[in-house]
Amino acid sequence: MAMIEVENLTKKYRDRVAIDALSFTIDEGEIVGFLGPNGAGKSTTMKILTGFMPATAGKARVAGFDIFEKPLEAKRKIGYLPETPPLYPELTVRGYLKFVAELKGVPRKQVKSEIERVAAVTGVTSELDRLTGTLSKGYRQRVGIAQALLGEPALLILDEPTEGLDPRQRREVLDLVKSLAGTHTVVLSTHILAEVKAICRKVLIVHRGKIVANDSMEALTKGKETGLEDTFIQLTSE
Amino acid sequence: MRSLLAIARKELSVYLTTPWAWVVFTGMAFISSFFFIASLLTFKQVQDQVRQIPGGWAQVPPDYQLFRNLTDGVVLNLFGVILVIVLFAAPFLSMRLLAEERRQKTFELLMTTPTRTIDIVLGKYLGAVGIVVATLSVTLVFPLILSILGSSESGTALEWSTVWLGYFALVLWGSTCMAIGLFVSSLTESQMVAAVITFAVSILWMLIRAIAPNAEEPVRSILSYLSFDMQLQNLLKGVLDLRPIIFFSSVIAFFLLLTHRSIEARRWT
Repeated sequence: MAMIEVENLTKKYRDRVAIDALSFTIDEGEIVGFLGPNGAGKSTTMKILTGFMPATAGKARVAGFDIFEKPLEAKRKIGYLPETPPLYPELTVRGYLKFVAELKGVPRKQVKSEIERVAAVTGVTSELDRLTGTLSKGYRQRVGIAQALLGEPALLILDEPTEGLDPRQRREVLDLVKSLAGTHTVVLSTHILAEVKAICRKVLIVHRGKIVANDSMEALTKGKETGLEDTFIQLTSE
Repeated sequence: MRSLLAIARKELSVYLTTPWAWVVFTGMAFISSFFFIASLLTFKQVQDQVRQIPGGWAQVPPDYQLFRNLTDGVVLNLFGVILVIVLFAAPFLSMRLLAEERRQKTFELLMTTPTRTIDIVLGKYLGAVGIVVATLSVTLVFPLILSILGSSESGTALEWSTVWLGYFALVLWGSTCMAIGLFVSSLTESQMVAAVITFAVSILWMLIRAIAPNAEEPVRSILSYLSFDMQLQNLLKGVLDLRPIIFFSSVIAFFLLLTHRSIEARRWT
């Protein structure tokens, strides 16, 4: 079953075309790397898929729900980590996660256990009572991911989840994402191709608002060690 | 409904950790106690003078009649001052409501969780009204002091029904300022800009009556009807009047609607 179906999705900022008639589908349980140079339209696509921004034209369905017509149903299926982790510096990690759990409609009785679960998965259990404003960049990122995991959404949309993490944290986050394969669908945007190679089986490359590649990892690497880099640079050169 | 309450609760608890809250509480307590003491002294002076007049209160001009009791002579006087403090404080209380969410990118979080825009607006607004109530409750200490230490020729020292009606008017007024502030705050990322514009709008609206005498009818009546100042007069005197309540509720509903439209519109840019 398709988790995400996108047809002719277009977004214009006044005269500038950010994404131009994108069409793709992502199946349930897949981990997809969403690549492209800066300004290619990755974040815009993610913002539209999560219902933050309406598209100028085209359709997008998440778990069968049209994001423009049935936004609440679609949003219930999505966990989203924006480019900047959306934290309130005045709240503690626990208070923050509780707030997000309430917004997501996690049943009252499960809120506490759900917070403990996502904190354990992302390794922030020891920091639960610290103010999010005093956390290091790595921990902020993790709390951002923890927030996305609340309520076990079927689809996770992560915009550069490893940004600002040290190598160990990077590996931990990637292992975490990898462990979600099968039960969750994950769309992951990043600049670091090695990360994509390590965990994604499918890759989507956008360039100047258009899809230039939508294929399995094997097809894009062509069996070579530097295959993905070569393909990426070749496709995004003009 | 649950997200609405969650947003309101978050707003209040975040608010109490900001220095602004405590600056406003302190300012409210300091300025209003200053005027409280001043009007107590005036009250005492008038009372002493009247006692020396042979005919007593019957000989006193009508302007001074309100000094016959503590409710009219002190508390209602004080409400006039608190009203002005609220006018100055409200922009600082409302400026961060939505501007800060935009600046910290948490707005994306609110908009991508299954929360309706109306819940965001009402949740924020409920939190804002809570802030106003908290700020006003600082001043409850003055009527309390009077009712404990004061005395009256007839019955209790204070007419509590009048006092509560005055507080109701103040909350209504504060809530109106916050509704304006919420809307302005939805337009900008800068808290300072939000505060200045909110202040400008509310003070102009308050004083719109000042230009009324120079205008022709029917503009004159419309202007004085629209002025906040005019609408508040009766309620603050302890006269229960339905018209200002409907007036302020309409103004609040109008600005909440504008906020809703503004949030929706900002998504398209």
